[in-house]
Amino acid sequence: MDSFSAADAVLAEAQAGDAAALETVCRAFEVPVYNLARRICRTTEDAEDVVQETFFEVCRSIGRYRGDGSLWGWVRTIASSKALMKLRRNKYRDTDELHEYAAPARRDDTLLRMDLETALESLSETSRAVVWLHDVEGYTHEEIAGMMGRTASFSKSQLARAHARLRRWLGEEVPAP
Amino acid sequence: MTHLSMEQLLALREPASEPGQLALREHVASCPTCSAELDRLHQRTARLKALPLLRPARDMWAPVAARHQKELRAHRLRRAGLMCLAAAASIAAIALGGPRLLPAPANDGGVTEAAIQEAQAQSATLEQVLDAYNPNGRVINGRTAGVAQVLEDRIAQVDQRLQAAEMAPEAVMQDQERLDLWRQRVGLMDALVDVHVTRASSVGF
Repeated sequence: MDSFSAADAVLAEAQAGDAAALETVCRAFEVPVYNLARRICRTTEDAEDVVQETFFEVCRSIGRYRGDGSLWGWVRTIASSKALMKLRRNKYRDTDELHEYAAPARRDDTLLRMDLETALESLSETSRAVVWLHDVEGYTHEEIAGMMGRTASFSKSQLARAHARLRRWLGEEVPAP
Repeated sequence: MTHLSMEQLLALREPASEPGQLALREHVASCPTCSAELDRLHQRTARLKALPLLRPARDMWAPVAARHQKELRAHRLRRAGLMCLAAAASIAAIALGGPRLLPAPANDGGVTEAAIQEAQAQSATLEQVLDAYNPNGRVINGRTAGVAQVLEDRIAQVDQRLQAAEMAPEAVMQDQERLDLWRQRVGLMDALVDVHVTRASSVGF
């Protein structure tokens, strides 16, 4: 039985407030929630805060989960919202421009190309969040817009901007014919 | 030849066909540059999905469990305290033959039973507002949860003192203290409602 199935198996007990069942549910999603949080947040500490906030919310609200969609989908939406709230609360500076200057972009020297992890880290918090939520987690622009309190157009333009930067930083620009 | 923008290339990945997508697809089919760009976009997305899972370096559950248990205890205490207060107030009213249910003449401190009852009614109203808002079923951030926790702890402390005051045989002599405690409770409940309702407006990104 994988961890997600283990969580589903104890769902009823968790909803009744059983502490051991709640622990099983949270432990089942510990790694994917941390991964999502760490990919969106700048620091390990912020990601850990998001994980704890997410699981605390799961403990408080699991009785309201009605089975519309997977349990992981429900937990993931909480985690995404918490991560976005963390970004907002920290009031990170949008450091796109600073990062762009710092990046070895526009150099022809392929030795200076970034790897994908570094390039992703170098995006602004907002852009990185949109890339991760859309391209990896599979949220639609409308869903991301809802979580961010912005418009779908905002999400689309952030994604386009982010991919243009990733392309450049990764040395993937196609030379014009 | 004008090539597709990144936004147009990204639009081609979306499942829903939007107006103009057909023309974009025809362009990609006939343009090696845009076709290569779209391939790279797909590859980049696939590589993002293939990035290794990052794992927490320490146990994440223990602090969550401790905090959850603490919140449950505080909630139970507050609920139990309120029920005891209601019972104690009823017993006191019966023991005193009813006069405490009616506005009493002002004592030396100018305190009337009506003022206490008014504070009790305000407290009950705020409890109803909080219940209707259902804070336990809503997303809450860490700082807000911390503030709410402090307020709930203080309410529980006030409830304990009120319970003692209501049950004390010399309760009639302690009207000023009772009024102060009830007003303190109203203030704390008001702050708790405010914390829960206000933070709802800051949830958006």
